[in-house]
Amino acid sequence: MANFFPRWTNLLPFKIGICVIALGAGVVAAFTYYATPKTLAVGYQPSQPIPFSHRIHVEQLGLDCRYCHSFVDVAGHSNVPTSNTCWNCHQHVQQESPKLQPLRDRFDPDHPDFGKPVEWVRIHKTPDYVFFNHSAHVNRGISCQSCHGRIDKMEVVYQAENLSMGWCLECHRAPEKHLRPMEEVYNLEYDPEQYIADNPHLGVKTTEELGLKLKELWQVQPRESCATCHH
Amino acid sequence: MSKRIWQHPDVPADETTVAWRSTGQLENTADFREWLEREFPRGAAEMANQEEAETSRRSFLKLMGASTALAGFGMAACRRPEAHILPYAQAPEWVIPGKATYYASSFPRSGGATPLVVTSFEGRPTKLAPNTLHPDAAGTDAFAQASVLDLYSPYRSTRVLKGGKPSSRKEFDAAFAELAKDSGAKVGFVFGRDDSPTRTRLRKELAGRFGNAKFYAYEALEGDAHKAHGDGTRYVADFAKADRIVSLDCDFAGLDPIGPVTPFSERRKPEGKGYDQHASKDALNRLYTVESGFSLTGGMADHRLRIKPSQLLQVAAHIARRLGADAPVGGVPIPDKRLGDWINPMVDDLKAHGGKSIVVAGSRAPEVVHHFVAAINAKLGNVGDDKPLRFVRTGTEGLGDIEQLTADLGSGAVEHVLFFTPSNPVYDAPADLKFGEVLAKAKTSIHFGLRTDATANAATWHVPASHYLESWSDSRTATGVHTVVQPLILPLYADCASELEVLAALLSEEGALATGEGEEGAASPALVEVRKTFEGLAGDKEEDWKKFLRDGFYAGSTYESATPQLDSGKAGELVAKAPKAKDGELEIVFATDGSIYDGRWIDNGWLQEAPDPISKVSWDNVALIAPKTAKNLGIYDKIVTLETPTAAKPADGEGQHRTGQLIRIKANGVEMEVPVQIGFGQAEDTVIVSLGYGQGFSAEDELGRGPLNESNVGLVGINTGFNAYPLRTAAAGYFAALEGAPAITGKSYKIAAVQEHHAMYGRALAREVSTLDDSKKGDFEHQLASVKKHGMDSHAPPNISLYKPVDEKGESLLSDPLHQWGMAIDLTSCTGCNACLVACQAENNIPIVGKEQLAMGREMHWIRMDRYFAVQPLKDDDGNYVEENGEKVLDEDNMELIPQPVACVQCESAPCETVCPVNATVHTEDGLNAMAYNRCIGTRYCANNCPYKARRFNFFDYNKRNPLVPHNLYRGPLGEKQVGTAAHLQRNPNVSVRMRGVMEKCTYCVQRLKDAKIRQKRRQKQESLASGESTKTKIGTPELRIPVDSVKVACQEACPSEAISFGNLLDEKDSRMGRAKSVERNYDLLNYIGTRPRTSYLARVKNPNENMPGASRIGKATIHMH
Repeated sequence: MANFFPRWTNLLPFKIGICVIALGAGVVAAFTYYATPKTLAVGYQPSQPIPFSHRIHVEQLGLDCRYCHSFVDVAGHSNVPTSNTCWNCHQHVQQESPKLQPLRDRFDPDHPDFGKPVEWVRIHKTPDYVFFNHSAHVNRGISCQSCHGRIDKMEVVYQAENLSMGWCLECHRAPEKHLRPMEEVYNLEYDPEQYIADNPHLGVKTTEELGLKLKELWQVQPRESCATCHH
Repeated sequence: MSKRIWQHPDVPADETTVAWRSTGQLENTADFREWLEREFPRGAAEMANQEEAETSRRSFLKLMGASTALAGFGMAACRRPEAHILPYAQAPEWVIPGKATYYASSFPRSGGATPLVVTSFEGRPTKLAPNTLHPDAAGTDAFAQASVLDLYSPYRSTRVLKGGKPSSRKEFDAAFAELAKDSGAKVGFVFGRDDSPTRTRLRKELAGRFGNAKFYAYEALEGDAHKAHGDGTRYVADFAKADRIVSLDCDFAGLDPIGPVTPFSERRKPEGKGYDQHASKDALNRLYTVESGFSLTGGMADHRLRIKPSQLLQVAAHIARRLGADAPVGGVPIPDKRLGDWINPMVDDLKAHGGKSIVVAGSRAPEVVHHFVAAINAKLGNVGDDKPLRFVRTGTEGLGDIEQLTADLGSGAVEHVLFFTPSNPVYDAPADLKFGEVLAKAKTSIHFGLRTDATANAATWHVPASHYLESWSDSRTATGVHTVVQPLILPLYADCASELEVLAALLSEEGALATGEGEEGAASPALVEVRKTFEGLAGDKEEDWKKFLRDGFYAGSTYESATPQLDSGKAGELVAKAPKAKDGELEIVFATDGSIYDGRWIDNGWLQEAPDPISKVSWDNVALIAPKTAKNLGIYDKIVTLETPTAAKPADGEGQHRTGQLIRIKANGVEMEVPVQIGFGQAEDTVIVSLGYGQGFSAEDELGRGPLNESNVGLVGINTGFNAYPLRTAAAGYFAALEGAPAITGKSYKIAAVQEHHAMYGRALAREVSTLDDSKKGDFEHQLASVKKHGMDSHAPPNISLYKPVDEKGESLLSDPLHQWGMAIDLTSCTGCNACLVACQAENNIPIVGKEQLAMGREMHWIRMDRYFAVQPLKDDDGNYVEENGEKVLDEDNMELIPQPVACVQCESAPCETVCPVNATVHTEDGLNAMAYNRCIGTRYCANNCPYKARRFNFFDYNKRNPLVPHNLYRGPLGEKQVGTAAHLQRNPNVSVRMRGVMEKCTYCVQRLKDAKIRQKRRQKQESLASGESTKTKIGTPELRIPVDSVKVACQEACPSEAISFGNLLDEKDSRMGRAKSVERNYDLLNYIGTRPRTSYLARVKNPNENMPGASRIGKATIHMH
């Protein structure tokens, strides 16, 4: 019988194998890089109907988070302020600012938008089957900053962390990295090293030691079982 | 989970109870064995046939190809979709987004309102719970739980109809104003049988304004009790004071309440209501029931007498005779020996408990029986303010009934008629009144109702009524406590009007009908009227009014006591007129339906799908007939296709192919055809048919009855059941003699009955003991002590677990030091009423699946309400079994019914968890067997491995696609969606709505547990901050553990008999659950397989009277099968 396959084909299966492996690895690598929450969600920074600046309100004016997000320590949701919360101040200040025109429209009885809510674009979103509870976190020494980053430095808010399940679990497995005294939860300028230096009576040296101390003191035992967030 | 080999001992000689859930099980048909052996019945997991399988493999590939191609166009969609957050423009008072608010309200109904606490999420009422502050709080029943669904029902009436055709509110308002201006108008008002103080007040004012006005009350199943006791007078029972209770066909624990029922169940627990006393039989009450077919109350009875309904008078008269009560007993024949032997010892027991007993007759029992019962109670000294029975004067005096209304309409004394009654007189009034024809004579008839039912379509005007959660009103509970009906939401539809708004408008000068919120947020006129009534009662202090709204009732208010206006002369006349019981003559009982009451709930999907507590049939009604009668008539074998246990499986009879044979019955000259089922424990020579079904049919109807009255019902109620109302007359509204014997027609009808689904075979599942000494089992103490050793547990060797309860570090897997959840269900107070089942459905977003799917065994109820019948074989005087044709004769006179709710029992060694390939069901640290729905891939291995059969699988997207549209589920993506319909507003936002292909089950309302834990943490934080420095404050177990018994799960909350206790095992005996688990009659279901369930059961206790016939055979319903 004649040789149907020339000699060079002997290595062909091997070459094809290498190509397939390389392609597979490439797809996995590309998916990991481009299609996971890390790249899909982090840095999402949509423009808002009113270009509200957290930097001005928090860093410069010193408003507490809870002035606007008033139910963050009460409810699962952290509420976005109602129009009349904004209006409390802005009926007096920045009366002429064109940026605030959408807000003024909502208080102008002759405007079609009168009484309608401001349609803020949602940035931080967990899937529908995740029941994240803000009050469970901020009441146990986890700061806003741990999930939302330095909001007080943001001119326009963007998503700072990826909010994936793996990211949640990282902290649930080692909460000491994020725990801070309850008085400091809403203090976005909190500096753990400074705090430790100012409070020598705590007898801790590093941020982690402080976290471990608080964890034990308050019996913080974050759960890793599914029903913690999924029900 | 362990592997052991042991030898079964022989069945002990005294373990002879025969128990079954269904006829198939009793007869051990091949069909039943199929259900038993397979987790999912044949066909449940497959596409039934090509016609239904519209998404065949081929079309699936086609669709997939097309969608892949289209995906190319959609690449732009890889961007993150933009979502918006819409905060309130003006923050409403009290509303915190994401947190529920709770308001007190009540559900008005004829036996007395049900006081409620309504859960509201951002203004949407989603869940009802009993108002435990209320003095008349007695849980809720299935109807109350399901009533919230009516608010959102897509089949609710939303617009004004004129002569059955769509019209407008404006047009109606004009016609209405004209009527209101005519003070000489001959107006008739037809109310329900509930009692509202404001309505009573307005009624009197209306009588002043409209000189010719007449007032009526009508509900289809109201009975004649009020005629016997005097106008507006009725009795209320205080079960806490009753040692002996005799129910003459009164389902007071179910459909026919006569007062709060919770105290009744409290007195059935030997350890006291809190399980904190030593078990004793002394304080137990004893219930005697006389009835035709099993009711929920009959199922609880210690002694039960089966009689034909016409014999009820004989029984009542005989009791009166034995007691020497003041009643015309002479005209009533003395009952036969069977009845006499039963009645005599019972009367002796009653005599011994004079002043501490209750004798009641069902509200639908003949008037004459009520005369006798009143005389009996008077003789026993049971009546008085501090006695178990109290006669009260309600606000319903001076109301005419349906017969008077018919006469007045016929004679022209009433020309304009307004219907507010929740019943549907054109459909459900006694047939001989021909109400539909009489109504046509009225110049104007205006129907206010939630549904466009027969009366709505027959009336000249129909106006959609506001739901009670949308309107202001007030009500009276059973004992007369003044209770608020508070709206939680404005009417969903602009056309809606409430009863009080209409009455208030008629009293105004212009007759302008103002409904809902007025201009600039002005309050509804109904609120003004309700407040005015309240001020008349309690003064005008703002504080009192606020307290009334907060608590839901006005403390201290009650009905004034009354003395019954008994007329023994009239009783004598009635005796002469009463139908005589004739031997061998069959009687038909027109029963109240356990699912849809008188038919008013026919469009409520939760209630339609909840299986009837006795027959376990969903979506239809059937005729029930005693097995012996069926055998006598020669139809038993046709009803139960009898097969030997080795016979081949029949093609017909399983799953979606289960059918009922149609029989033809005739009464009062009217014939009907209805499918028949065997009714166990039913009196011989009776046929029981429940009312309320068969209101409308479409062309899709299986028996080809449609299209008929199609517009009277929505998609839920269409093509369901058989209408028995035409057989009923005013004189024979409760029962009638059958004309001729029922005959099989040869036709059959598909029946969806859940009784054989998810069967757990034998093995002492439900256990029962008796307070009487038993020759073999010993006295009460001994019997209690041996509860844990019933059935398999008597000889199974101890378990050796293959699983280690610790992790690799040696720490317990149940590591939570704060909470370990557990539940105890007390079978001694569980009546099997379905309240828990419906409450669970409301709380956990459980969809309905429709009749077709349910028949295939795909029901989604997380709680399965098992109902067992159990009976002992008869013995002769020598102690030998009585046999007939080689088979033991069963003591059918003392048949028992045991309900047993089974949901996931949260096994510590859960068999389901080990077989899940994706870890979608895993254990939590606090002992829950959790489900991660989004992780489930639907292999269904877990359900196959669950010995309790507690898992339910979403075979279709029941939440997204409407299962009630024929064939809709099989259309896949082309099916009609129901997303966005009003029904979705009822969903609990804290529970995932599951999709197709996902397994689900009970998780002890994990969302409530999580909420309670977080609330507790928050409280601790407040305290630590208040103390100054949080870094110095210790927060430990005592601070973080939630207060004892502070969290309730939905089923527990709803239970009217407090059968379910739930709590933290680490609270030990501080918690009611912990105490319940420590009593002797606590046992684990299927203990011997070593799953270590967290839910345990408490054996049922029967307290028989040793002098009664068959007393030794009572209290032995433990199912002993090996």
